[in-house]
Amino acid sequence: MMKVKRTNGFLWPVIVAIICSFTLMVPVPGFGAGKTIVIGGSLPLTGAYAETGQWIEKGMLFWAAEINAKGGLLGRNVEFKIYDDQSDVSKAVTFAEKVITVDKVDLLFGGYPGTAARAVMPVAEKHKFVYVSMGGHMKSFEQGYTYSFGAPPLMGEWWYEGFFHWLATVPADKRPQRAAVYTINNPVGLSLTDSIERWTKKLNIQIVINEKYNAPLTDATAMIVKAKQSKCDILFANGFFPDGVTTMKAAKALDYNPKIIVQGVGSVVPAWVKELGKDGDYVFSGTSLSGQLKYPGNDKLNAYTKKTYNLNEYPLYFGFGYAWMQTLEQAVKGAKNLDQTKIRDWLKTNEVNTIAGPMTFDKRGLPEPINFGTQIINGKVELISPKRVQTKEPVYPKPAWKK
Amino acid sequence: MDAVLIIQSLISGIMMGMVYALLGVGFSLTWGVMHVINISHGAFGLLGAYMAYSLLQYFGVDPIVSAAVSVPLLFLVACGIYQLLIRPITRAQNVVMASMILTFGLAIILENVMAIIWKADPRVLTPTYSSGALILGPFYFQYPHVVGFGLSLAGITAIYLFLKKTYTGMAVRAAWQQPEAARLYGVNLYWISMITFALAVSTAGAGGICLALLNSFEPHSHNLWLINLFLVVIVGGVGNVIGTALAGLIIGVITGLSMAFLPFLWVNLVTFGLLMIFLIFRPHGIFKQEGI
Repeated sequence: MMKVKRTNGFLWPVIVAIICSFTLMVPVPGFGAGKTIVIGGSLPLTGAYAETGQWIEKGMLFWAAEINAKGGLLGRNVEFKIYDDQSDVSKAVTFAEKVITVDKVDLLFGGYPGTAARAVMPVAEKHKFVYVSMGGHMKSFEQGYTYSFGAPPLMGEWWYEGFFHWLATVPADKRPQRAAVYTINNPVGLSLTDSIERWTKKLNIQIVINEKYNAPLTDATAMIVKAKQSKCDILFANGFFPDGVTTMKAAKALDYNPKIIVQGVGSVVPAWVKELGKDGDYVFSGTSLSGQLKYPGNDKLNAYTKKTYNLNEYPLYFGFGYAWMQTLEQAVKGAKNLDQTKIRDWLKTNEVNTIAGPMTFDKRGLPEPINFGTQIINGKVELISPKRVQTKEPVYPKPAWKK
Repeated sequence: MDAVLIIQSLISGIMMGMVYALLGVGFSLTWGVMHVINISHGAFGLLGAYMAYSLLQYFGVDPIVSAAVSVPLLFLVACGIYQLLIRPITRAQNVVMASMILTFGLAIILENVMAIIWKADPRVLTPTYSSGALILGPFYFQYPHVVGFGLSLAGITAIYLFLKKTYTGMAVRAAWQQPEAARLYGVNLYWISMITFALAVSTAGAGGICLALLNSFEPHSHNLWLINLFLVVIVGGVGNVIGTALAGLIIGVITGLSMAFLPFLWVNLVTFGLLMIFLIFRPHGIFKQEGI
């Protein structure tokens, strides 16, 4: 049995809000008493990033159930102390401090999104706690932190690498020539532009429109009209799910048919396919993890999510939650105790094997760039690049919208 | 600057603005008539959106038709909430502050209830016409925008006529303008307040459906909607139906023009700059005359 303590964090001065906080504290059956290893931190279980946060939690809990069934970590059961940071970065920082200094947990787990991970990294460094997460973006790994690891990371700067590697294989005369780039104005969105700038120069694609917008994006009509009028034949919609949907709906309604639509991080969440259906097809993106990879463990996770959630492939962030814990598990086993510095040093000098593949870490705590190009084809996220992992030939150019 | 881009942005902005006006009109009414700032107003709108989503997904009911179910239902729910929660706080010394704290809690409860029922996954309302458009020359009238605009216009007109032409509506206005005098003339303020609150919540439901036709939504989306609610109400004037409608249109026009002329990053700066200007120079909103 597993025990997860989910605490909301602050009390409201009125009764109604106290009642409300009860609704946030959903108890989950707990596991073993005794001298357990407590792994603490926070996830966005409510608020803007709740969908993703809840999948990460499920992936972590699956890992915990699995390791406890095998006799635990260092012979001790593991349990999580998970706070709900309500998708608030400042709360994620507060909870990171709390689990280390007040709850005195044995290990720290990685948070989400990148903005939260970025903010927790200095806290982990200050207290000399190993922090395995997606990381914020490249800059967060260039601050000289020695206890933070991206394993696997979700680097915005690498996000489109796989896609561009595929695009480079398209004959130059058949490639798109004019790009419209719309980017959400936050660290994750801005980090996505890094590979666009590098690769468009390399492939002689002219960036005709390069604009940023603030969330929430309530209407994308003007964006699409500008791109259409400028005859842009490749559209980069560097955003999340809500703005991605708004952009796609406007593109279809205004009958804008570029050769390629590339979407940021919104198109790889299960809701994209489920909610947009056929309209979500043919969108390119990237990932650093997929249930279709052939590394050990992926089939097991797919079977579990099929049985439990009736999903043909595990959701991306379920996999991330699991993979981060796999890394931490191997480091603890390698260090043979819970000494944070020994765990860190083991990670710095050894290879870990996760569902995202084998990886070793450089001084920054990052592995070699990991990225796979993706395209949604017939309602499924397919791997299109590199060739060795390809699950389907990409559809290019994108077929016109079906009315 | 391309005329097509400007006009297309204007069309889109006006239609979007009208949807915010419908969502805001009830917020404005409860604030004006009852001095209740209902922070949970957007959450009720979201509830309407989720009801429309479920009715469409499971029964194939068009969102417009589903409004015929969710709006009366929300009216009844709101009557119960008024009786249970709102009425007691109207006796508080500072109704505005008490209502804000209470309805803030109510919004969080509603958000969590929606998260439990519909999960945290983002949803998209996709009736058959969701990505279609009526094409007139170089201009595209996106069907969801047209439907949202039409429904909002009808909703606001209905509220306006109700307040102007019916006895109950006139009683609401009387309660807003001269509560003591209205009481002396036999207006039951309790009854009127309950109707106002229920009417406001049900219009929020209709507004939520319209907004869900345009954007995806999640259990926390009401927080984002709330920002625009404050915007239309402050610009339009608290308790002013026509002012709120006009404010929606003005904000739509400004947003549309900003998107056509300026970098997209400036749109919020311009829109909220407008809010600040109104707060400084016209704290009562567009019209000098207060009220409905």
